[in-house]
Amino acid sequence: MLHLSNIDKYYDSKFQRTFVLKAVNMEVKEGDFLSIMGPSGSGKSTLLNIIGLLDQPSAGEYSLYDKSVLDLKEKVKVDYHRNFMGFIFQAYHLIEDMTVYENIETPLIYKGVKSRDRQAMVADLLDRFNMVAKKDLFPQQLSGGQQQLVGIARAIVGKPKLLLADEPTGNLQSVQGEMIMETLKTLNQEGMTIIQVTHNEKFAEYGKRIIRLEDGIIRKDEKS
Amino acid sequence: MIKHFFTNIYRNFIHNKVFTVINLTNLVIGFAVFILFSSLISYELSYDKFNTNYKNIYRVQTRQEDSYPTNFCTYSPPAYRYHLMADVPEVEEVLLMREVSGGAKGSGQYFTLPDGSQLYQLNGYWSENSIFDVFSIKLIEGNKSNALTEPNTIAISETLSKKLFPEGNALGKQVVVGKRFPVSVSAVYADFPQNSDLKATYLVSMPTYPVLSGEPTYSENWTSISFDNYVLLKNGADPKLVDSKIKDAFKDVKNFEKSFPYLHPLSKLHISPNSQSDMIIGLAILSLAAILVLILACVNYVNLSLANSTQRSTEIGIKKVIGSSKKLIATQFLAETVLHTLISTTLALFVAQASFPLLNRILNKNIDFTLWNNAPLLIFIFLASLLVGVLSGLYPSLVISAYNPVKVLKGKIFSNGGNSISIKKILVAAQFSISLFMLIVSFILFNHVNFILNKDLGFDAKNILYTEINPRDKMPFETVKTAILQHPEIADISFSSTIPFVGNIGGYVTWDGAGQDEKVMISRNYVNYDFIPTYNLKMAYGRNFSQEYPADNKGCIINETALKIFGWSDPIGKQIYLEGKPFPVIGVVKDFHPYSVHNPIPTYIMFLNSNVISGSTLLSVRFTGDEQKARALVARELGNVFPNYPFEFKDFSVAFYLDAAIPFWQSMKRMFMFFSVVTLVISTIGLFGLILFTVKRRTKEIGVRKVLGSSVGSIYWQLSTEVISMLGFAILVGCPAAIYIYKTMPGAYKEPLSIAAFFVSVALVAIIALLTISYHVLKIAVSNPVKALRYE
Ligand SMILES: Nc1ncnc2c1ncn2[C@@H]1O[C@H](COP(=O)(O)OP(=O)(O)OP(=O)(O)O)[C@@H](O)[C@H]1O
Ligand SMILES: [Mg+2]
Repeated sequence: MLHLSNIDKYYDSKFQRTFVLKAVNMEVKEGDFLSIMGPSGSGKSTLLNIIGLLDQPSAGEYSLYDKSVLDLKEKVKVDYHRNFMGFIFQAYHLIEDMTVYENIETPLIYKGVKSRDRQAMVADLLDRFNMVAKKDLFPQQLSGGQQQLVGIARAIVGKPKLLLADEPTGNLQSVQGEMIMETLKTLNQEGMTIIQVTHNEKFAEYGKRIIRLEDGIIRKDEKS
Repeated sequence: MIKHFFTNIYRNFIHNKVFTVINLTNLVIGFAVFILFSSLISYELSYDKFNTNYKNIYRVQTRQEDSYPTNFCTYSPPAYRYHLMADVPEVEEVLLMREVSGGAKGSGQYFTLPDGSQLYQLNGYWSENSIFDVFSIKLIEGNKSNALTEPNTIAISETLSKKLFPEGNALGKQVVVGKRFPVSVSAVYADFPQNSDLKATYLVSMPTYPVLSGEPTYSENWTSISFDNYVLLKNGADPKLVDSKIKDAFKDVKNFEKSFPYLHPLSKLHISPNSQSDMIIGLAILSLAAILVLILACVNYVNLSLANSTQRSTEIGIKKVIGSSKKLIATQFLAETVLHTLISTTLALFVAQASFPLLNRILNKNIDFTLWNNAPLLIFIFLASLLVGVLSGLYPSLVISAYNPVKVLKGKIFSNGGNSISIKKILVAAQFSISLFMLIVSFILFNHVNFILNKDLGFDAKNILYTEINPRDKMPFETVKTAILQHPEIADISFSSTIPFVGNIGGYVTWDGAGQDEKVMISRNYVNYDFIPTYNLKMAYGRNFSQEYPADNKGCIINETALKIFGWSDPIGKQIYLEGKPFPVIGVVKDFHPYSVHNPIPTYIMFLNSNVISGSTLLSVRFTGDEQKARALVARELGNVFPNYPFEFKDFSVAFYLDAAIPFWQSMKRMFMFFSVVTLVISTIGLFGLILFTVKRRTKEIGVRKVLGSSVGSIYWQLSTEVISMLGFAILVGCPAAIYIYKTMPGAYKEPLSIAAFFVSVALVAIIALLTISYHVLKIAVSNPVKALRYE
């Protein structure tokens, strides 16, 4: 479903060009669960952002279902964000001014889902993640693990095909981290394609495939 | 979606309470000022529009090209009515009126009240019956067809009717005018509305005029420019054509020197009565100032919004990632701004309504403002508010919606915003320049008003009572003098045709040694022997008029200004020529202010009167001791001498405050004080926003931990230098502008500029600026780094 070929990402400063990604080639199939690993500064987030259409590569080709997705119009890009992919962040990035319920509901509003359907979909997820009792709380009132669950719920409520997670467990204790990974695993089993960035070898093992980045270059791409 | 919008806006409000309150206060101030002055202007423009024939009513005024600059006089001679306008086919109605007792300020007419006392009533007119066809007047009693057709009839306003006939039913009753003229009430009309230029309190029928005024041939008078001629044109008539027809007819009848009749529309009667643009310019400047305040408030709004958006940037980044479009974010921000402006406008309406007394005080007026029943004004205000909302939301909404989510979520957005001279700084510096300017000018005006009020007038204005009296029969002044001076409480009494600040008689004179065709405009006064001692005027040369020199009735006394103009080194015995007659100078009086201290002292010449009171006269007495006692005394004695003529003693301050310059300057002073407070508050909010922006950016960049680590003192210093440079800019702009205003300020006499005005203003602005910085720095100093780190 997703194909990257010869992706470069570099930043030009006055006298030199710094490569963050260099000649990255990558193919992701539907139903895949990919873990990206690598030392800090190796370009993991940059790669994920490019896949997530939040950043542009400096050179190379990127296509989704054989359609190039470089230089997309704002409208098309927004469409991809609404319907095709979901994001999870290390810092959760929930909207502080909104309740749990509203945080999960917001992507559906952007998608234009009708109010009644929204209620059903959000209720469904709250139920699934055992958060029904917490639906009217604000993010600051939750533990880190709970916040990340809300983050996942928000990312998947719109039923995206692709889930992108940048160190989803980075701020969590291991028990909570494991719970998050179990959740991702279940989602993958239900058919969702997942790409996660992680520093944790054990959590990387949840993936079906592990990619190791070093200085912007893919050093290893292996089945786990 | 809509609900989502509003919950969002509501939550933002709750989350940023302090910010929102400051920003809304800022907008409320801006809008309140805007609304205040919009209503003032709407009120001024509403004048006379209640008349159904509004568009077809014109006043025939006089254009006097024999004075320089050309004088546009609102009055015209009565002969116009009878010999000019009635014949023009486009003229539907003509209306001749004259203010009772002429046009001189403070004159009026006396009515005898039921209890026998005298009621002094201003704004009475002689008028033809056609006034009811021309103006829209509502009759309460009487009949429009014949209310003012008969001699010895009077139409009175409802208010006057209530005073004269508290029991009601005034129609047909008699009322005594001026202690001796009985006239019968032919109509009672509803008071003229407040926004009417003509506010007649009573109307005496024109046929009464020749009888009471002793001027039977007034209809042939082409020279007395003291009547009001109105015309009502037929529908569709071209006023320009009528104007030229009247001029042509006028030329055929009488090519009178260089005064021409011209039509002045009722729509301009109020805002430009003399065909001059003074009031329009004044209103334009006021609207500009009000709009400027609104713009300053909007600038603050934009700055504060941008400053606050650093806090909201994460939220916007997230929204973009989860599928919000740029347009949606921009629209939401715009909607929020428009909502803010609409809320502010609504609040501002109440603030403005509550501030109208203040506006009235500033303007020295007594306008009855109400916003709630003025639908067009309300619509205008809300449209303006909508426009302001869209305009001030547009830029921030574009900036905010363009945030790159990757950078924003990393907290990096503002790292490149550190250029030292930003637009924001310039804007805040400009705001401070304006408030500094306003402050300094307020101080200058404050000094100026004190100066005017306390200026030595050159004569003794204390302990003076004066009255106007208008007896028909001759009365030797010595009779009055003996009667009054028998009381030791009265030190002096005199009579004259004018007194300082009341009345003015002009004229042209030439003098010994003047060049050919050289003449000068003078103010003259016909005085008796006692005038100079009563007012304690000092002689510079020669002597006062004296009964010992019978030839004094052919002489004159000039003032020092006149002496300077005539250029004489030895004035006594030199002659001036008035209307061809020579008058030798017997004395020179030291300069004093016969009129407003606003004007230069005129060339002033006194002539001796006959010492017999007859016709309109001003009596002045100087008393010692208690004023009330003196007043009762002179009123009683004068009442004995003139049982048939009404009068009312006033103290000199009444005359002094008739000087239009005083309320004008007081009004200017209050206006500037008002605007300086408003702009100072607004620029403080502006500075607040700027510092907020700087502080937020720094905390985001280097983190609260490090901000706290580097000493609080150094941040304080850093912010202070920033503000001091802005203050420097404000001083460089504001001070010269204020000096310019001082230099161009009209008025013949000004106090020298006081350095204190500048120091105090600069100090005030500096203190406010430093307080604002201190608030922010203290806030950082006491902030909890752990809490702040969560957002890092
Ligand atoms: N705007 C930019 N300009 C210059 N260099 C940048 C910019 N953005 C990112 N980089 C650099 O790109 C490199 C890769 O960054 P990236 O965030 O992808 O690393 P990462 O592998 O996710 O690291 P971490 O494990 O710490 O999250 C870093 O060295 C970073 O400094
Ligand atoms: Mg990263």
